[in-house]
Amino acid sequence: MEQFTSSIVLSILLIFASAAFTDNILLARFLGMCSVIGVSNRVNTSLGLGAAVIFVTVVTTAMNYAVYYYMLVPLGLEYLRLITFIVMIAAVTQLIEMIIERLSEGLYYSLGIFLPLITVNCAILGLSLFMLNKPYGFIQTLAFGGGGGFGWFLAIVLISGIREKIDEKRLPPGLAGPGITLIIIGIMALAFVGFSGMIKI
Amino acid sequence: MAGIQWVNILISIGFLTAVGIALTLLLVIAEKRILNYGDCEIDINNGKKKLTVRGGSSLLSTLSDNGIFIPSACGGRGTCAYCKVSVLAGGGMLGPIERPSLTDDEIARGVRLSCQVKVRSDVAISIPDEIFSVRRFRATVVHKKPLTHDILELRLRLVEPPVIDFTAGQYIQLESREYRGREAVNRAYSMSSIPSDAGHVELIIRRVPEGICTTWIFDILQEGEEISLSGPYGEFRLTDTQAPAIFIAGGSGMAPIWAMLRRMREIKDPRPAWYFFGALTQRDLFFVEELRKLEGELGNFTFIPALSNEPPDTPWEGERGLITDVVRRRVPDLPGREAYLCGSPGMIDACVKTLVDLGVAREHIYFDKFA
Amino acid sequence: MSNGTAKLFLKDVWNDNPVFRQVLGICSALAVTNLLSNTLFMCAGVTAVTALSSLTVSLLRNVTPKRIRMIVQVLIIASYVMMVDIVIRAMAPDIHRFIGPYVGLIITNCIIMGRAEGFASQNRPLPSLVDGFASGIGYSMILITIALVREPMGFGTILGVPLPAREQWWHQWTIMVMPPGAFFTLALVTWFARNRLEKTMKAGGK
Repeated sequence: MEQFTSSIVLSILLIFASAAFTDNILLARFLGMCSVIGVSNRVNTSLGLGAAVIFVTVVTTAMNYAVYYYMLVPLGLEYLRLITFIVMIAAVTQLIEMIIERLSEGLYYSLGIFLPLITVNCAILGLSLFMLNKPYGFIQTLAFGGGGGFGWFLAIVLISGIREKIDEKRLPPGLAGPGITLIIIGIMALAFVGFSGMIKI
Repeated sequence: MAGIQWVNILISIGFLTAVGIALTLLLVIAEKRILNYGDCEIDINNGKKKLTVRGGSSLLSTLSDNGIFIPSACGGRGTCAYCKVSVLAGGGMLGPIERPSLTDDEIARGVRLSCQVKVRSDVAISIPDEIFSVRRFRATVVHKKPLTHDILELRLRLVEPPVIDFTAGQYIQLESREYRGREAVNRAYSMSSIPSDAGHVELIIRRVPEGICTTWIFDILQEGEEISLSGPYGEFRLTDTQAPAIFIAGGSGMAPIWAMLRRMREIKDPRPAWYFFGALTQRDLFFVEELRKLEGELGNFTFIPALSNEPPDTPWEGERGLITDVVRRRVPDLPGREAYLCGSPGMIDACVKTLVDLGVAREHIYFDKFA
Repeated sequence: MSNGTAKLFLKDVWNDNPVFRQVLGICSALAVTNLLSNTLFMCAGVTAVTALSSLTVSLLRNVTPKRIRMIVQVLIIASYVMMVDIVIRAMAPDIHRFIGPYVGLIITNCIIMGRAEGFASQNRPLPSLVDGFASGIGYSMILITIALVREPMGFGTILGVPLPAREQWWHQWTIMVMPPGAFFTLALVTWFARNRLEKTMKAGGK
């Protein structure tokens, strides 16, 4: 029994770590970049957005898992997964918008348009779609969603930390904004490649 | 594709609809629980009026629901800046949408855009007394009379309340209705009717290409149809000084001036007056006969139409050129002159500069800028 | 009409290029560009979806109530993506195995939503179709450029065909096969294109 629970815990930790590091949704799978390039010049805003994204990924991967395996598959409606998932994500995003508006006016204002844009954040839909290819149970899916969200959070906070230190005025013309951000992301992706092979899932 | 299974399609649609309804219900319940701010008190003008309202909506709409109508032209988007209100307490953080429309001085004094301020707790505000006399009216369209190829006169009969109490120069806010997928909007128009005609409102409206409200007025609205408006708003009015008055306006900008001139005729105001009417060509002029007639009826009134784009070979005897040049040529050199301008911000800025150059005191220049 | 259409097309492809100018839709720009074959299918898919979605949104723009406008757009885009997904799976199952999830992600591709909301919802069907198509072409141009850098450097082939005399001079740039290579290539392409754009804009005195 002890071995059983400890192996469950281990598998959850491994799944979380692989989703967050070796298979980082942003740095290894390229998803969720538009908001990064738009928001990542302030660390505080990135922290808030990243936290919101973690909430959304955990809730949506869990809900989409349940809906897919307990509703779509029995009814033979797998082909509706895209529409169903995106609708779920839109609803959960609106929910977190309301929660943030209630709890912190400052964060709500600084996130501005990027809050509703969480809905079209490829990372979130991507995580739900990747989840379908994995042989996970429900708890493991939670770990997968949480790890994926955390990985995105980590990436955007690190990138914004670097960007805050860069004096964009000294860059050659044409490189400011997206150009230099992509290079930073590239270097970080290079660093994260060092994680590959660490976990074989 | 042979054998499209209708059962499958029906199940898909049914499933998606069910999911949609379930999520909508969830969100509605969540909104009621999360964004529930309870009852809030709005204190207006230091206790002059107190309202107890349900929190959660914008200050603008909350006040409007309680019979206090703050002017607004953009429907709460924060772009027109008409809805400025002095918030003394309880306004929350200054939002990024409001920031560009407020000067540093206004922010220091607590001025906010009421369409962006959410009522989350007790609020104390200060508003001009005139707002208390702003009402919402239902009216019917008496006539739509074309004045030029792109300007018409809209005459409305007030139904409920049946009369409006205003001074010449003030404006109302017209509410257009949804049509062809375009949303309902509020737009401000100056009244060209006179206060003694209290049961009616007249407006002079120019068609704006692709404009939501003017397209609705020109193409959709019918005579006899009902329409909503609120007012009166505005501080643009004739002074009591009876000092010589210089009016400058063109196109639909003539509306408040037309109201003022006819009012002057009604009360036999003796002040000397000049009206510079700027237009592109002859076909953009209107009310020419009536204005010439006013020259005889008012003691000392001169009507000066000026065309800026009239071809040189036409038999036009009046002034030609830019309105600022014509003003420079013809404006009388009298002490204590006052000026009343109505038009686009560009035209007003140019005329103000010209008038100041010609020695008119800046504080005696009054204007109504419309975007 | 045709002159205006041509201007619109050019504008979307270069001046307002969705990828390097508006920084939209890059997620997929990086995932699929490791091989030109993947890229071509992706570009065809995105162009088709953008063009058809813009056309449909424009046709329906006068009858869509304001409140649910975004939801309707998402549904339209999702339907076209589903169709494209099925077509790609039928035409090229091997390619679909790799780019499958990213095809589904076309729904969240900001370009399509951006064009639908920003242009098609307020313009007539034919210009909207051109606008959607041109945005797709602009996107495709950038992606194909990146793929033409990444595939030769990473695998030494173009469309699976080995480069001439490959054994003599080609060394594998492993980085080009991996994500960082894509980021760097896109960064360079963006830098170059923006530089050119800024210069022409300064010269044109815009």
